[in-house]
Amino acid sequence: MRLTRRAFFKVAGVTAGTGIAVAASARSAGPAPVDPGLPGVLVDATRCTGCRACEAACAEANKNPAPDAAADMSVRRDTSQHVFTVINQAEGPAGAPRFGKKQCMHCLAPACASACPVRAMDKLPTGPVVYDPGKCMGCRYCMVACAFDVPKYEYERAAPRVRKCNFCSERQAAGLAPACTSVCPSGALTFGKREALLEEAKRRIYADGSTYVRHVYGEHEVGGTSWLYISDIPFEKMALNTGMPERPYTDLVAGALGVPPFIMTLWPPLLMGLYTFSKRRDEVDEKEVHHG
Amino acid sequence: MANGIALTGNSSFFREKVLLGMGWGEYLRSLLTPANAVAAVILAVGIPLLAYRFAAGLGATTALSQAYPWGIWIGFDMMTGIVLAAGGFTIGASVQLLGLKDFHGIERSAILTAFLGYVMAVIGLLADLGRPWNIVQAVFSFGSASPLFEVAWCVMCYTTVLLLEFTVPFFEWLGWRKLHAVLKKMLIALTVLSVVFSTMHQSALGSLFLLAPTKLHPLWYSPFIFIFFFISAILAGISMAVIESSISHKVFARQLVGKHVDVDALVCGLGKAGAVVAFAYFFIKLQGVIDGHAWGHLATGWGALFLVETVGLVLVPSLLFAWGARHREPRAVKVAAVLAVGGIILNRLNVAVIAMNWTNPIRYVPSWMEVWVSLTLVTLGVVAFRWIVNRMPIIREDSAFPQEH
Amino acid sequence: MTSDFLAIYPAKLMEYGLAITYLLLFIPMWRYVQGGQKVLAVQPVQGRHDAERWPAVAVAAPWPSLGWFQVPAGVALHPGHTWARLEADGLVSVGVDDFAQRLVAPSTVELPQTGAVVTQGEAAVAIGDGRHSVPLVSPVNGTVVAVNRAVAEDPNLLQNAYGTGWLFKVKAPRLEADQRQLLHAQAARHFLDGEAEALAMRASPEVGQVLQDGGAPVHGLARVLAGDDGWEALAREFFHTEKGTP
Repeated sequence: MRLTRRAFFKVAGVTAGTGIAVAASARSAGPAPVDPGLPGVLVDATRCTGCRACEAACAEANKNPAPDAAADMSVRRDTSQHVFTVINQAEGPAGAPRFGKKQCMHCLAPACASACPVRAMDKLPTGPVVYDPGKCMGCRYCMVACAFDVPKYEYERAAPRVRKCNFCSERQAAGLAPACTSVCPSGALTFGKREALLEEAKRRIYADGSTYVRHVYGEHEVGGTSWLYISDIPFEKMALNTGMPERPYTDLVAGALGVPPFIMTLWPPLLMGLYTFSKRRDEVDEKEVHHG
Repeated sequence: MANGIALTGNSSFFREKVLLGMGWGEYLRSLLTPANAVAAVILAVGIPLLAYRFAAGLGATTALSQAYPWGIWIGFDMMTGIVLAAGGFTIGASVQLLGLKDFHGIERSAILTAFLGYVMAVIGLLADLGRPWNIVQAVFSFGSASPLFEVAWCVMCYTTVLLLEFTVPFFEWLGWRKLHAVLKKMLIALTVLSVVFSTMHQSALGSLFLLAPTKLHPLWYSPFIFIFFFISAILAGISMAVIESSISHKVFARQLVGKHVDVDALVCGLGKAGAVVAFAYFFIKLQGVIDGHAWGHLATGWGALFLVETVGLVLVPSLLFAWGARHREPRAVKVAAVLAVGGIILNRLNVAVIAMNWTNPIRYVPSWMEVWVSLTLVTLGVVAFRWIVNRMPIIREDSAFPQEH
Repeated sequence: MTSDFLAIYPAKLMEYGLAITYLLLFIPMWRYVQGGQKVLAVQPVQGRHDAERWPAVAVAAPWPSLGWFQVPAGVALHPGHTWARLEADGLVSVGVDDFAQRLVAPSTVELPQTGAVVTQGEAAVAIGDGRHSVPLVSPVNGTVVAVNRAVAEDPNLLQNAYGTGWLFKVKAPRLEADQRQLLHAQAARHFLDGEAEALAMRASPEVGQVLQDGGAPVHGLARVLAGDDGWEALAREFFHTEKGTP
């Protein structure tokens, strides 16, 4: 009368095994060749004086409220729905302060854009990761996905938006540099092509007598970001998130997302097979009962 | 077999079908029960709360923050709601595809539970979304690199399938034979689709958290989290079928007079399945911990929470299911089912809210309004379930539409 | 980097070890769960007896058509062994069915008063042997408008259960809804066949054998099966009016 459990498990086991094998082979992109034309910014913490001109320029360019002049930079500050970049202060060598700038990292393989179900967060081919409130449904998955905790939400509004730095994509489209980099007086922020900036960063790190930490923050983190940092104190001291994987986040879901087409293909024949199998058993049972 | 006797009175369709043959006065008086009073209180506060949420925004009604963008409306209403509605595809597939006709008596109520569960989950989702009017964007702008895109589409498709499956008893109730025959023929195809879509979105709900390796505690974060979510969905389906059918067959016992669906025997049969699934699920959860090299965390407070969830609320129910099934003790099976459901709820809350942002010393605690809205949605689901079962052939059989056995 | 690589080995050892442990535990687990008595879960319209009474066999056979108890066309049966029939004048006749009167072979009949309100599924009449009497439930909701005095005076009329044995007539405002709970035509016949088989199984094996050979049931079968004092409980069980039932 019923499908024998042994047969069921046999068939299910084979299919499940295939499915798991497919899924577990999380494909790794490997070090993909990066478009040399992509923009980047090199942030050199040894040159930042903490003047916060970048904060003011950003606020003006994005029509956000002007930054609070009296803010204490040694208490960890974060971006918010009306503040797209902040400077945090840390203690550097010989008691001198060091300053770290936080803003959207414009990842090469942005987790937020890959997370967005409607491409409200999207990566432009020219580099910036931008946000379109017209498409956004407010699921806030981008906030969960971002390893740098960048996107912030306007919970207080009736039609809330996700808010973050957009790399001044319109200024860049017009051939200008982003607002923050164009006002930096000390040369801490250098806007250019990422490839070239990476080389410059390494040149500075490996120059004779340099005291830099031997790591370019953003070179490999989450598969690489557009904003690159070099510093002579550990990056986590400057309120920058560390410890994230060096694989792009898109790799993390690639395996799982590869499975659905296999399910759509394999499940129907498997299930219809089980159905036919169990129907035949019923028919055979009925015949036996009537004859016996 | 035709219903040859026309024992019909002269009452209107509305009176017979909706008011259960009573006049308005009598019907309204029949609603005055203690259970309805409790439900009324919950809804009297909850429905205005929902309206207030849409008027005043998320900041005014929830405890969500920049560090905690997802709270219990996602963690419980949506994620737990969807997993506990998994009985629709597990029981449906067991009956229609595996030929386990014994469970036919609870198949329709399982599908109804699933349908209402998904409707309530969608309402909970709409309450949580910041710009819910843009939910239709998923139909036009394809964020196909996102597991949430897959969830959205599969939930849409699956809710449609559930609706179509539900129309079979619905059309029996209305007596619309032609449409009923059409839908009945589609039932096998619908069941196959229900398993396909359910597999996809139950697992995709787990895949969502693949993008949070730094935020979700290592004991729960695993590249295999989507497998855990799928297997626990099957376990949830089995356990909810035990709980829901036991309660329904007691509450609606009048509909079964003379029909002998031995619920205790069905419950023990489900207990067998629950024992095996829970046993396997326990072991694969451990495998996930080993694979992630996270066994060191078991000695911490988080480890204690993990062990409560997996040993206390997966392994223990597995053994209890096994004992109850073997010794034909339906009460043990029911207790096991409650424990297993508790474990699954705890798992979803752990993944979405509790073990999320585990390094953040500030913890998320839901606001009373969030809790009340969740309670409201559960109440609405239960009330709708009761309204439908009192009228349509979900538990009882409509003699004009005989079931083949 | 090296330590990361080497860390793979103990992890893999644990993984495979756990998987093998699971497989070893799975075998006894499976056997344990599958052990225990087999059960028939669904026996529609057959009876409410414990699964223990039934043999451990998968049933795909058609119902045994013993044809002991009759139900004519036009009559709707309540599983509590009462029946309802819509008459030409719009009233509904109610009585106890063939099974009930053969089971009890009553010598007393208690009828409701005219004007009384009867509720579907709740006790409305009682039949007895003078020492005990058992209630039966009404098959429909309604108000009693007529009562069959002849049956109260001569309970033997009950042997024509669906004709002269009618008990009372009601005005039934919710007939369409009520009849959903009732059994018609073939379903009713199947039900009675099932009840017959249930009765047969209750009997001692020798009596069961004889009955299965096509004999007719003895009048007052309940007393034969359960004795002068025990028949009441047996009848109440079949009529869904066990003591303590509301």
